[in-house]
Amino acid sequence: MSFLELRDVSRVYGEGANEVHALQNVNLAVERGSLVAVMGPSGSGKSTLLTIAGSLEEPTSGEVLIDGRSLSNMSHNDKARLRRRTVGYVFQDFNLLAGLTAAENVSLPLELDGTGARKARDAAMAVLDELGLVDRAGHYPDQLSGGERQRVAIARAIVGERHLVLADEPSGALDSANGEAVMRMLLTACKGGVAAVVVTHDAQLASWAERVVFLRDGRVVDQTVPPPSPESLLEPSVQP
Amino acid sequence: MVATGPGGGLAARRAVGRWAWRLFVREWRQQLLVLALIVVAVAATVVGAAAAANAPAPVDGTFGTAQDLASFQGGDPHLSAGIAALEHRFGAVDVIENETLAVPGTVSTYFLRAQDPRGPYGRPMLSLLSGHYPAGAGQVALTPALASELHLHIGDLWRQGPMTRRVVGLVENPQSLLDEFALVPPGQVPAPNTVTVLFDGQPVPARAIGSNVQGRAPANTNAFNPETISLAGLTVGMILIALVAVGGFTVLAQRRLRSLGMLASLGATDKNVSFVVRANGVVVGVAGALLGTAVGILLWFAYRPRLESSSHHVIGLWALPWLVVVLAMVLAVLSTYFAASRPARAVTRIPVVTALSGRPAPPRKVHRSAVPGIVCMVIAFFFLSWAGSQAHTGGGMKEVVLGLVALLPGVILLAPFCLSALAWLGRRAPVAVRLALRDLARYRARSGSALAAISIGVLIAVIIVIVASVRYANALDYAGPNLASNQLILYTPTGPGYTPPCPPGVCPKAPTGDQVQAMGTKAHAVASALGAQHVVELESMSASLSRNAPGRNWNGSIYVATPALLHAFGIRASAVSPAADILSMRPGLATLSNMHLDWCNQFAAPQNVDGKIFQNPCTTGGTSTPVIQQVGSLPSGVSAPNTVITEQAVQKLGLESQLQVAGWLIETAHPLTASQISNARLAASSAGMTLETKNDQPTSAQVVNWATVFGIALALAILAMSVGLIRAETAGDLRTLAATGAGSRTRRTLTAATAGGLGFLGALLGTVAGYVGVIGFLRSNSLEGGISALGNVPVRNLLLILVGTPLAATAVGWLLAGREPAVMAHQPIE
Repeated sequence: MSFLELRDVSRVYGEGANEVHALQNVNLAVERGSLVAVMGPSGSGKSTLLTIAGSLEEPTSGEVLIDGRSLSNMSHNDKARLRRRTVGYVFQDFNLLAGLTAAENVSLPLELDGTGARKARDAAMAVLDELGLVDRAGHYPDQLSGGERQRVAIARAIVGERHLVLADEPSGALDSANGEAVMRMLLTACKGGVAAVVVTHDAQLASWAERVVFLRDGRVVDQTVPPPSPESLLEPSVQP
Repeated sequence: MVATGPGGGLAARRAVGRWAWRLFVREWRQQLLVLALIVVAVAATVVGAAAAANAPAPVDGTFGTAQDLASFQGGDPHLSAGIAALEHRFGAVDVIENETLAVPGTVSTYFLRAQDPRGPYGRPMLSLLSGHYPAGAGQVALTPALASELHLHIGDLWRQGPMTRRVVGLVENPQSLLDEFALVPPGQVPAPNTVTVLFDGQPVPARAIGSNVQGRAPANTNAFNPETISLAGLTVGMILIALVAVGGFTVLAQRRLRSLGMLASLGATDKNVSFVVRANGVVVGVAGALLGTAVGILLWFAYRPRLESSSHHVIGLWALPWLVVVLAMVLAVLSTYFAASRPARAVTRIPVVTALSGRPAPPRKVHRSAVPGIVCMVIAFFFLSWAGSQAHTGGGMKEVVLGLVALLPGVILLAPFCLSALAWLGRRAPVAVRLALRDLARYRARSGSALAAISIGVLIAVIIVIVASVRYANALDYAGPNLASNQLILYTPTGPGYTPPCPPGVCPKAPTGDQVQAMGTKAHAVASALGAQHVVELESMSASLSRNAPGRNWNGSIYVATPALLHAFGIRASAVSPAADILSMRPGLATLSNMHLDWCNQFAAPQNVDGKIFQNPCTTGGTSTPVIQQVGSLPSGVSAPNTVITEQAVQKLGLESQLQVAGWLIETAHPLTASQISNARLAASSAGMTLETKNDQPTSAQVVNWATVFGIALALAILAMSVGLIRAETAGDLRTLAATGAGSRTRRTLTAATAGGLGFLGALLGTVAGYVGVIGFLRSNSLEGGISALGNVPVRNLLLILVGTPLAATAVGWLLAGREPAVMAHQPIE
């Protein structure tokens, strides 16, 4: 069964003459352990697809299911809980909270969910350890490099029992080496059973995905399985 | 934000609170304005309330801890029996004997005082500064000032008459530092002038014990005491600060929009998100309250010695009104909490995706209807009308408070509507002005609170201006300074300024002709020492003015318009109408109807009933309608001869036999100095006269002008704090304008129009609201003469507020807006 499923999802902004169809009857299914890349030109609806999949926005029509549960039946409170426990976001510009250290940023979703501070910190430190950031745990975002910030953002997206990671241009603000490191981490997470959807402009990075979905004018125009890239055959490792 | 409802409980709150605290620590400079306002308000309240509460002389200075005080003359043959009777009836008593002695070589006096330092009631009236209390017949302790005057130190021998005593200590009466005395053990004053017995006669009323007994004044139960007045001032101040702070917190929430969106995307509920903004408000409030209290206490420590010296009693280092201090701190936190609540609610309404994008949220629609504001104004009007109708009975204070409380939300609710109306009126103005006015209307959530704050400041000033002018213009119940700074009056013992120093029930005897002559000689000597221009003998008689109509009635003395008096004030006899009975400088008095002149030719003997002297009834007298002539040359002071009866009227009414000298008015070329007044007082005292000099009562013009300056300054200060915040919101527009070729002139016009528009609306709304309140209060107020009293309003001052505020705001806005803002250089043009 698909962990994330979009059924005939449409999203319309504005009314009348100002109506814009951001998404039109999009269907998409992502299984656990799989990494799906979404590509398309600007304004094709990539980010809208991600925000609807992550319950940040409501579709105008259609249905979104996460782990078999329809989002349309959920209250706002349930959706907030879903984001705390199941869905992890990674943004192009990291979106780390400036007033919190790396460890506190990572433990934040757990604390928001009611986990005690010590337990949440232990869990955050474990993830940061996996990503090779333990020695940067006490640093604030403005004391970290771009690559480190994005790794902290990924750690925050996968901490706890998250099963779905949605990444919007996660390597957009990084150089190629750090961009590939980010993709490696996402791939490693997927191998641990996480379903991931990555929006990217970079065909090279998209080739890390099991499947690439092409969007144009809000419609899925193609879905391909890219050939295995030399990098994807490498063991995932952390880029310093 | 999409998430609502509870989530995460305490752990989530802790995490979010931690983040809010870190943000405050990182960004406290951006909140410096609100922080500074709170610190100043709390510090001012702490110092103001402490000074107001500690300035009045404590009643302990006379009564110690006793509830009753009996006074005896030293030579009273019933003294011992009286003290024994009090002791028998009420138990322990504390006897204090005083003998008045002169400091050798001076006119100063002091007391030789016999008092037990361990007495049951008098202990608060004694404090040992050094050495020890006198323990035997040969020992004495002196107050520091007396020791200095007598050139004595501890260990010295003091020879006083036949007695020689050793100075063993320095003492003071901490409740009255002017109290100069030499303390000896009980029974060591050979010939006391007065003996005071302190005792606790409760529950028997003092007057039932004896005519020479005074009861301790009950604790101040008046709701309008220094503490409540301080708190009322603080509350109004905090409302103004909260209104300014709304803008500050809104800008801060706007800056953190992406972070707040991020928080929501991680699953934070609406409560969590709004908690960040509210927690920030609370943190600012707590920091401001703590800092303000600390600053206030430090200022109090610095000011306390001055207050001690001016109020002449010892004030404890920690004698602070703690309830007021705590309430001030609570009010500071509450005001920032509520100021932050509005942007906190607003930020939760922004969609997460919009928040994450960091784009400014579209301006929030604020209800444009004027109806809620008008309803509040109407409620305020009726409450104040109700209060006015009760003014003649001395009541209506609660209604006044309720009316003012309703007036404030009226102003706040009308502010957004006024902004919309101004934008509509300015729709054909040049583009920069049009844009500025339109931005004010678009961002009403922020500019509305600033406008409300300005309007409330102006409202306070307008109410003071109108009420003061109405009150001061009342010709019957005259208000203002008693005398000019170059005038003083020496009163005979029965003159109008006389306050009996004798025990209750014993009235002063009228001075004999010789005594009056001696006093006159002394008065002329004082005048000569002062280099006076005029010495006018003031004659009075038993006549008074009254008005047979509701409202305030006559106050003040009626002296006789002697030729000397008229000459002193440059009034020629030909200028006085032969028909005039009364000459007055009080404007409007001559035109009042139903005025009566009551006089008495002969009195019955005073009646003494159970030791109480009853007003001696008039046996022969009458009432007539006087002819009053206005003479502007007479002096204007309340105690000065501003209203005089003509000699013709005195003869007509047969009052010649009632004439008596009340005192002497002395007028110098220059204002009197403190030492001149002090010397004159000593001289007056030595001749049995009392002296009156100018008091601190401000003039009408002073009150009105200060209120005008206060209103304009407060409005400009709020504008200075708000306009930057309001224009910051439209910084993007400024960049766009710059891209289309707009220069510094446009920037100046935008800021000047924003400041001028807000200033104009604030002045207008505040003035209208002030008039609504005052008209409501006066329309049914017979005490102040009803709505017609508004004819005395100083239009010039009101025009200055209405026109001066926007003009000054426009000018300052124009001058300060020329520099290119940093954001234009650092941010790309979108």
